[in-house]
Parts: sequence; structure tokens; C-alpha cells
Amino acid sequence: MTTLRSATLVLSILLVFPMVALAAAATEDGCIGCHGDKNISGKSGSHLFIDPAQYKKTSHSVIGCTSCHESLTSNHPNDGIRPSRATCKECHSPIHQEYAASLHANNAACADCHNPHTVKPPAMTSARDMNAMCAKCHETAKMVNVHAKWLPQADLHIDALPCITCHTGSQNYVITMYIEKRLGTKEHSDFKVAGFDELTQLVPGDKDVKSLIDTNGDNFISLAELRSFNRNSKHDDMRLWGMMTPEKVTHSYQILDNRWDCTFCHASGPRAMQTSFVAFPEKGGTYTRVAVEKGAVLDVLYGTPDFYMMGSTRSTALSIVGGLIVLGGMGFAGVHGTLRFLTRNNRKEH
Amino acid sequence: MSAHNEQALHTEHAEHAEYIYLTPMPVRIWHWINALGIVTLCVTGLQIRFPEYVNIFGTYKAAIRLHNTAGITVSIFYAIWFAYYLIVKGNLFKLYVPNTYDIKMGIFRQVLFYFYHFFKGGPSPHHATPDDKFNPMQKVAYMGLMLVLMPLVILTGILILNVAPLREMIMLLGGLKILVSAHFLIACCFCAFLFVHIYLATMGHTMLAHFKPMWDGWEEVKHH
Repeated sequence: MTTLRSATLVLSILLVFPMVALAAAATEDGCIGCHGDKNISGKSGSHLFIDPAQYKKTSHSVIGCTSCHESLTSNHPNDGIRPSRATCKECHSPIHQEYAASLHANNAACADCHNPHTVKPPAMTSARDMNAMCAKCHETAKMVNVHAKWLPQADLHIDALPCITCHTGSQNYVITMYIEKRLGTKEHSDFKVAGFDELTQLVPGDKDVKSLIDTNGDNFISLAELRSFNRNSKHDDMRLWGMMTPEKVTHSYQILDNRWDCTFCHASGPRAMQTSFVAFPEKGGTYTRVAVEKGAVLDVLYGTPDFYMMGSTRSTALSIVGGLIVLGGMGFAGVHGTLRFLTRNNRKEH
Repeated sequence: MSAHNEQALHTEHAEHAEYIYLTPMPVRIWHWINALGIVTLCVTGLQIRFPEYVNIFGTYKAAIRLHNTAGITVSIFYAIWFAYYLIVKGNLFKLYVPNTYDIKMGIFRQVLFYFYHFFKGGPSPHHATPDDKFNPMQKVAYMGLMLVLMPLVILTGILILNVAPLREMIMLLGGLKILVSAHFLIACCFCAFLFVHIYLATMGHTMLAHFKPMWDGWEEVKHH
């Protein structure tokens, strides 16, 4: 019975989707014709302007304007009817249910955080963008003070991590790494995410940009491959930059008990951070992700000069040198002490 | 031997032993706070670097908090120690910087003593006085530790403790990785020194002879 129902559903989607898409394409050009023009803001408010480039990248552009703004008529805007807004729960019902149970539900509607005309998948959003949303209500300076009561270097944590890294119901995390390139030739100039054209120049002939790291071309990046990319002096003006996001997007904003334990993150390859990818740029400005071997991925990022995660990105070679220094001190006492014991009779007359 | 009032030689009648007031109280207080601080820093530092293997203080945060507190305490006491010897006593460089004799001869003689004459039963070429507390080897070691490594470990520590506000300065010095590496290696040197220091302190005429002046200030002078 379930199989039959599923088959019917799939069939309906297959039949309906192209129609929706066609309808969407047909009406969208008309809408964007006016709403994609910045001058529209001057007439009736900035919310009427929809950036066509940003909108096109959203998954919402596939279903089209009228799917959400249902009351639109062909006489719009001369019909005097204010178009209805989307009720997000029609499509995002499970998220809506989860959100409704959270503390946020009474204070912010979906669109207060997510602009439906510019939404991006989580992997394409930076931590800064995410936190800017939270900061609309939760003022950053105030949040730093609140966290500083228990969290060492709260300012650094809040600056470097998306709020939802801790305030999430997700058990595990995904680390997505990008290749970044130095902007200038100076040693301390800033880095930015390297584009497709920049990386294509670095690979010989018709080779894929992935081959910069995935040297054996098996579409899987081992920790050894990641390490050798970082150590290659030819890549001095490049670095791998990682972003950690919850594996599962949740809207509960809860803090799971184990998040209060610093070693949840500050340890070498902690259990919750075993899934990682390297995102390579593609021609059209999108990214393709290649899976990375499980293990202590952040330890490999040790090559980055201004990234150090206490307890996590330590260098094994340095630990060995440090250990030898300490052993040297102990060894001196041990060897000298032994000789002292053996020659004790020589000092008896004193 | 200029400051006779502080040298305060006195005699204990029962044993006819001569005592010398070698370590004034402020120095002793500083020494033991420093000792506790540095041991705390080493142990907490071990947990901070190797959290998967070492858990002495219950939580990582407890180790971090204790490490930071001990670090700030040692830094403040270092500043007091530095000011005390430089300004109040005025003999910081005399005590801690090797003189021409030390460099030409003294260090060599002291090394020879520790690694050869000592085993043969020979006497130490150096006798501590309040104005010349350290033998040439000690001078070199303490100069390196107290005038070079200590300021460096404090400076790197302060920077690592304030990454967000001091990020520009951190980048100027080569980045967080360089600072953390330097901080760790210097810390290892201090840890190694602890073992050597405690061991060498047992080399008085009795095992505890050198510990006594660091406790009550008075050291028994042995005449050969």
C-alpha cells in the first residue's frame, strides 16, 4: 500500500513538476521585469526589490513567484489587491513544527532570518552571514559578555564560529574546506576563496581542479593528500580554510549537554567532526564537494599560520621536540644522580 | 661583599657553624609562588595540549582557567621580581649577567666541576654570597631563563590569551601558530629546568642544605 502511494506521489511529481517549472518560467520574467529594477524601491519600499542574480540561485526560483504569492492576478499591480505572502509551512512543514516549539517562535517569523528571495544552502553561507542574522536581535557585544561568563575567549569564539555551531540539535558536524588564495603578493595580505579560473591555471593541461589535492584522481581525498597539499611549498600563497556546520540543520536552537565540554571540539579529531569535504569551485560559480577520509582533519590544517585550535591542531613533530627537551632535563638528573651515587665514596672525607 | 648589614653573618654556638643570610624574604616568597605557578602551568599545559590523553583537572575549561590564572600570577610576580632586583636592590645585572671572568674561565671551571671534579670528590670553585649568589653556570642558565625565556613565554602567553583583540600584533609576529609553538617549546624548557633545578638543589653538603636558605633565608657556610 505504501509502495503504491509512493509510486503515485513520484508519478504526480514527475508530471506536475515540469508544468510548475514551465509556469514559473513564464510568469517569473514578468515579475522580475519590474521587481528586479532598483527603482521600484523608491515607489513603495525596498522590500519590493528582488535582486535577479541572487534570486536565480535560490531553490525558490524553481517553483516561481505565484507558488508563494498565490493571490496574484494577471492585473497586478493595477487590481489593488495586496499579494498574499507565502506560508512557509506548506512546503517546510517539519521545520515549521520544530521551530514552533522553540523559544524563537514567538519572537521571529521565518522571513525575519531567511529572506526567501536570497536563500542559499548552508554550505554556501559564511559564518559571518549567519551570525549577522542572529545579531539582528542578539547584539554581538552583549552576546560576547554573556558568553564570557563561562567561555574563555568568548569574543574569538563568536567571531570565528556560526552561533548555530553550538545552538543546534545536530549531534555531529561537517567540516567543509575551501582553497583560499592570497590577494596580494605581500606575506600578510588577506586570503579569499579561490575561483575556478585561478585554480585551473595551476593544474596542467586538461586536468580537473580537484587534482590539486586529489592527486590520485579517485574522487576521494585521503588525509595524506590533504597534508601533502598543505606542505607543498608551491602552495605557499594558498591555504585550506575550513567551515564547521551542523550535519543536520535544525531549528530548535537547543544546546546539547555535550556542547558545554570544550573537548567536544578541542581535541585531535573529535568524534563529532569526522565528516569533511573539500569544496572545489566549478565553472558556473557553484561548488562540487569531494569527501575526505575520516580522522583528525583539523590537525592537517596546521599549515595555516593564523589558525590554531587549542588541543586540536598541534604539530606532532613539535610535540616530540618538546618531549625531548623535558626528557633531557630528566635525563640529566638521572644520569648525574646515578654517577653521583656510584662515586659517593670519593666525597666521604668532605 | 659590600652590603655588610644584609650579609648578617652570625654564629650558632652549639655547632660552631657559620650561617649566612642568603635569601631575603621577598625573594623567598616570590620563589615559592613562582614554583607553585610554574608547576601548575606545566601540568595544566599538558592537559591543554593533549586533551585526549591527559585529564587531571576534570574539564578542559578548568585546565584553561587554572593555566590562565597561574600564568597571570607568574607574570605579575615576574614584574615585581624584575623591579625588585633592578630598582630596589640594583644588582640584577651583577647577579644574573656573567662577567668577563665567568665567560673566560668561570663557566668552564664550573662545568668541569659538575661533570668531573665533583665525582672525584673535589670542591666547588664557587661559594655563594648575597652579592654573588650564583656560580657562572647558574648565571648563564638563569640569565637565559629569567631575562630571555621568561619574558618571551609571558609575551606569547598574553598574546594567545587575547587572540581577538590582539590579532593584528599576532599576525605581525608570524601568526598564532608561531606563537603557540614558541610558547610550547619555551614551556618545555622551563619544565626541563624544573628537574635540573631540583636535582642540583640536592647537591649541597647535605641533600637538603640548599633547600633551607630558600625556606628561612639562612645557609650554613661550610669551610673546607
